[in-house]
Amino acid sequence: MIFDVIIIGKGPAGLSASLYTTRGNLSTLIIGSDSELLKAHVIENYCFIPRATGKEMIEKGIQQARDFGAKVVEEEVIGIKQLDNTFIVSTNQNSYVARSIILATGKSKIQVPIKNLDIFEGKGIHYCVACDGYFYNGSSVGILGYTDYAIHELKEFEGITTNITLYTNGNELVVNEESKKYLSDNKIKINTSPILSVDGGDFLEFVEFKSGEQEKIEGLFVAYGTASSTDFARNLGVLVESNNIIVNKEQETDISGVFAAGNCTGGFAQVSTAVGEGANAGQSIKKYLRTIKQ
Amino acid sequence: MSVKVYSTPSCSWCVKAKDYLKSNNISFEEYDVSKDRNAATEMVSKSGQRGVPVLDINDNIIVGFDKKNIDKLLGL
Repeated sequence: MIFDVIIIGKGPAGLSASLYTTRGNLSTLIIGSDSELLKAHVIENYCFIPRATGKEMIEKGIQQARDFGAKVVEEEVIGIKQLDNTFIVSTNQNSYVARSIILATGKSKIQVPIKNLDIFEGKGIHYCVACDGYFYNGSSVGILGYTDYAIHELKEFEGITTNITLYTNGNELVVNEESKKYLSDNKIKINTSPILSVDGGDFLEFVEFKSGEQEKIEGLFVAYGTASSTDFARNLGVLVESNNIIVNKEQETDISGVFAAGNCTGGFAQVSTAVGEGANAGQSIKKYLRTIKQ
Repeated sequence: MSVKVYSTPSCSWCVKAKDYLKSNNISFEEYDVSKDRNAATEMVSKSGQRGVPVLDINDNIIVGFDKKNIDKLLGL
């Protein structure tokens, strides 16, 4: 089945968008793990609702989206690829296809606690295997991460190099059975030692662990924690500035069929603004799909 | 005017940079650094890094799809 729209993120922006797409008779799939809003103890500045917990708001929003006809799945998105006029969304459990996408996962708060990553950006430290992986043909490379998102990036090295190490930086692996099998079948080395820094000369040369040991490496690709809207945007080629996805007043990005709403676009990080942007994105997608069907 | 674009096929930013040049009727030489090792070495030597795309506009090196600088160098 090809969905009219896949909304990535089930926070206020994504859920609000779904009300407009479903009411516009668009087949709508919402994919997301827990929203940041769930952690909010109490919200008192959302107009019309004097007081509610984040959990109450999200639960009501999901129920409302389902009542309107949206399909909601609790999965982690690990990659998005554009194929002609459709988008293939891979999760840790399935793969889905849609004519349009709304990025609404909020903003990643995960910081990679390793020294010098910024110094070697483009010089051994990279964030997109599909883009820069080719430079490491037959070389020793690493993926920095511990989730299915990291394994998804790791698979992109097929045909480029087999000398791959997964660096979890002290984290336990949080991956599904398919990823575990892939790591085992392909004899991927897994290093779980906590990392202190990366270092080298003009280019990256080694990883230094907190234990004081070092390991030589030519390229290290970062896919740490859960991928955010801005990670997907960067890989799709959507314009991003200062970690904010650039959108116009219709919530459209510069790639046809890709919209973004909520905290990932920057600005005032409030439930009210996210709901407003989501509504706008949902409405804009209706117009967009009508245009491409003509 | 000499414009060279160093890119890889699977990099969406490379496609975007090339489409932008084409839409402005700018002719350019294209190097696929995933296959052409000499071009890859040349690109790293010119830009001091391994990220794509890299544009060489009259010996001025631009890393990434930096539209502002591309416009400035091409007078767009």
